[in-house]
Amino acid sequence: MYRLRQSGWLRAIALLAAVLAARGSATSQTQYVITNDDPGVSFYTVSQGGLLTLQQQVQIGGFGTVAGFFGANRLNMLDGGGQQCVFASIPSAGEISGIVISTLTVGGTASGSPTDNGAANGIGLASNTQYLYASFSSSNTIGTFAIQPGCDLSFINDVSAAGLAGGQIDGMTIHGNIMITTFTDGSIESFDISTGIPLANGDEQYSTATLTSQDATYPNSIDVTSDGHYAIFGDTSTLQVVEVSDISSGKLTPTIVYTAKKNISSSNVMLSPDETVLYVVNTQGATVSALYFDKTTGKLTTGCTSKQIRGESADWSYLGAMGLIAQTGNGGGLYVAEFGTPSGIAMVTLASSGGKCSLQEVPQSPFADPNSQGLLSIGTFPPRSS
Amino acid sequence: MSLRLQWWLAILFCGCSVLRLTAEDCPAYPVSGSVANDPYSISSQNGVLTAKFTLAHSVDQYGYTHYCYKYDAAGQIVEAPTLRVNPGDTLNLEVFNRIDDKDAAKTRIKMAGMKTAGMTMSGSPGQTCGDGGDATLDSTNVHFHGLNVPPTCHQDDVIDTLIQPGSPGFKFSMQIPTTEPPGLYWYHPHVHGFTEFQVNGGAAGAIVVEGMEKYRPEVKGLTERVFVIRQRYLVPWIPGPYELTLNLQPAPATGLKPLIQMQEGDKEFWRVANASLQDFLELQVVQDNHPKDLELIALDGYPLAQTRIEKTILLPPAGRAEFIVKAPAVGTNALFYTTAYSTGPTGNADVPVTLANIELVGADKSRHAENQPQPAIPTAPPVPTTGLKFADLAHAQVTATRKLYFSEEFGGTNGPIQFYITVDGQKQRVFEPDEKPAITTKVGAVEDWTIENRALETHAFHIHQIHFEMLEVDGQPVTDNDLRDTIEIPYWSGPGTPYHSVKVRMDFRDPTIAGTFLFHCHILLHEDLGMMHKILVEP
Repeated sequence: MYRLRQSGWLRAIALLAAVLAARGSATSQTQYVITNDDPGVSFYTVSQGGLLTLQQQVQIGGFGTVAGFFGANRLNMLDGGGQQCVFASIPSAGEISGIVISTLTVGGTASGSPTDNGAANGIGLASNTQYLYASFSSSNTIGTFAIQPGCDLSFINDVSAAGLAGGQIDGMTIHGNIMITTFTDGSIESFDISTGIPLANGDEQYSTATLTSQDATYPNSIDVTSDGHYAIFGDTSTLQVVEVSDISSGKLTPTIVYTAKKNISSSNVMLSPDETVLYVVNTQGATVSALYFDKTTGKLTTGCTSKQIRGESADWSYLGAMGLIAQTGNGGGLYVAEFGTPSGIAMVTLASSGGKCSLQEVPQSPFADPNSQGLLSIGTFPPRSS
Repeated sequence: MSLRLQWWLAILFCGCSVLRLTAEDCPAYPVSGSVANDPYSISSQNGVLTAKFTLAHSVDQYGYTHYCYKYDAAGQIVEAPTLRVNPGDTLNLEVFNRIDDKDAAKTRIKMAGMKTAGMTMSGSPGQTCGDGGDATLDSTNVHFHGLNVPPTCHQDDVIDTLIQPGSPGFKFSMQIPTTEPPGLYWYHPHVHGFTEFQVNGGAAGAIVVEGMEKYRPEVKGLTERVFVIRQRYLVPWIPGPYELTLNLQPAPATGLKPLIQMQEGDKEFWRVANASLQDFLELQVVQDNHPKDLELIALDGYPLAQTRIEKTILLPPAGRAEFIVKAPAVGTNALFYTTAYSTGPTGNADVPVTLANIELVGADKSRHAENQPQPAIPTAPPVPTTGLKFADLAHAQVTATRKLYFSEEFGGTNGPIQFYITVDGQKQRVFEPDEKPAITTKVGAVEDWTIENRALETHAFHIHQIHFEMLEVDGQPVTDNDLRDTIEIPYWSGPGTPYHSVKVRMDFRDPTIAGTFLFHCHILLHEDLGMMHKILVEP
């Protein structure tokens, strides 16, 4: 009996050690919703039912997230390579700070080159376990930083990236060896990051909607399926427009356009963990939508749209980025940044069955974000695995 | 524009503006708390009004860049005089450009990063009127807002007309149509991309086409006042917190207000122009916290078919209202006031402002004015309005219908922010000076336009050269088929709610308005950023 018990403990300890080895020694089981504020990064703990409680703000220096583009991710989560970090950009200072999740302390702060500048509309972030990439919207450059132990960063290099008509870099994401960017003139482009530094794939092109839609529209945020088959673009538009590109070749192909009227400015998109649902934040229309996604064909079909997010029209002018409530299944809904003074975090749950769905804002929503005067970027930790 | 961006720009700009103190070329603003006098006025003589304006600018100690139309009134320099003409008169206006504000232009453009507010705007290829060249912050021209005059060079053309700094002078000359509706019009610069700058600084003035009393004898013999309400941003150049002025006298949120002095027992005829940048005014005369009855006489320079009593008169930017006001009762607190107005989730807040305190003067103040006998109602019957332009529009044969809509595209909180007005079926695009007309029609056409607002912000539709007749609001016939040249279209409330719209009748029958002219939103930032297109009326 004793031996069995001891054996069980040993197995448990061995299992724990294996998990720790896989995830890094400084793991944290706490689930956070995280916001990039002014100045600082706020961490909210998540209670049963997904409700949020502000735990702590970590000061990262600088002043201001400067608001700006909806599609630029000013927060990036790293949960791999032996580290758990949150990277947050400080566009006004041109800096990126790394925060150690386990201690909620700043591990390091780095700047790009002297000419890297995202002061007007933000610095977007994306990372893998080795590199953090920063898109500087004003200088139209992408900086590459090596991720150091302790969530520190060291700047390596930067490359230029601009739209075909000179558009500013807006959205940026990476998946495996491909980086995809969007530009404010409707261009999209991919880069090879297999060597670390982005190298243009030579596929820069205007999105199909930019070229063909009667309504003004251009791709803004980006998400990529876990198998790297499809890139999905949320368009800034006077309608709701989502575009899908087959990137299975490692390069962008002409996008397929999906449009819904009576929504407006579908700038931010995110796939659910099981990739059956595409969440859309209608950044100007004060609603969120869920579209059904077929990950084998890349096709989207109609889902549902929430009512206007509570309080948005009265106190907020825009919605911003989103984070998933759950990191499994269809995500269960989303948290949404509400830009305003002060800002807030809306919580909208998804109910889906038989090809029909509904999105309902919970009664407690929105949760106040007293530390932000213009919240646009939000994320969850641990992040969705992809 | 987001508040956050405003903060940033404010911080950056404040550091610059202190360095930009220059000699004051413009007359000083009237002192707060003083009597709000009428603008100086110039009247036509023997059928001709001739005047010379110099557009100048200066920066005061608070950092406000003041643009002014200066006029030499027998040795006294006055600002933005009222031009008074009769139908059939000739208006000769010579304009000299003496502005030089490159530093401000560079500062604003660098900071705002707006797509169309570049350093220069290229004009229409092959066509110039005036000095030609590129449009810059230093360029100017004049739009005679509401006048039904030709869209041609030296008249009311703003597409090709540029008056550059140092120009020897540009001469406008136009005949006011003999059928021009009597009423209040106004003039202001209209250089695409830069209109807001100069109007923000105060460059605007009133035009009165005389003869209202013939059509609306209610105003005969009444004391007449002209009020031009302007708007200036508290942080220069940056849309956001602002201050209104009444005949150039600031009406601050706190502190001394302009003063309107009325004779006890009087009725007065007020002619009010909303020359603001983007403020929707809901005008009231308030007595002891209660809005008084206002007898509305005319809107946008066109006499109403029947006067009507209103307690609140909504004026979109560029709109005008003419109405009769009774002096307040003795012992009451009276104000000229604009209420708060919601322009929607993405619109700027239009705040309540006391435009002036109203003070009774003269006579025995122990009497109650409102109980006094009113001036005798004129016995002469009104002249029918049937002789005025557009008078028979309601019965005209409609030759075409169109649908247009406002929309906005926000890629972020700071930009790019694109503002569109689109003819349904065409691709959304912002205005470019060298664009082809979005609409082509012919002289003789009468068209019904439905104009929809698909943006989360209220817009103000304006078309040059003509008035239009109001037919419907949100699909419902209106009870008053007013003739307007600017009309508000409320914001869309979001998914699940209908778009607001107006249906109006456009009259292109007058051959003198043949040519190319503009329609746009009269929120001047929107206009500057391209919420505007051309219409060609072929001969």
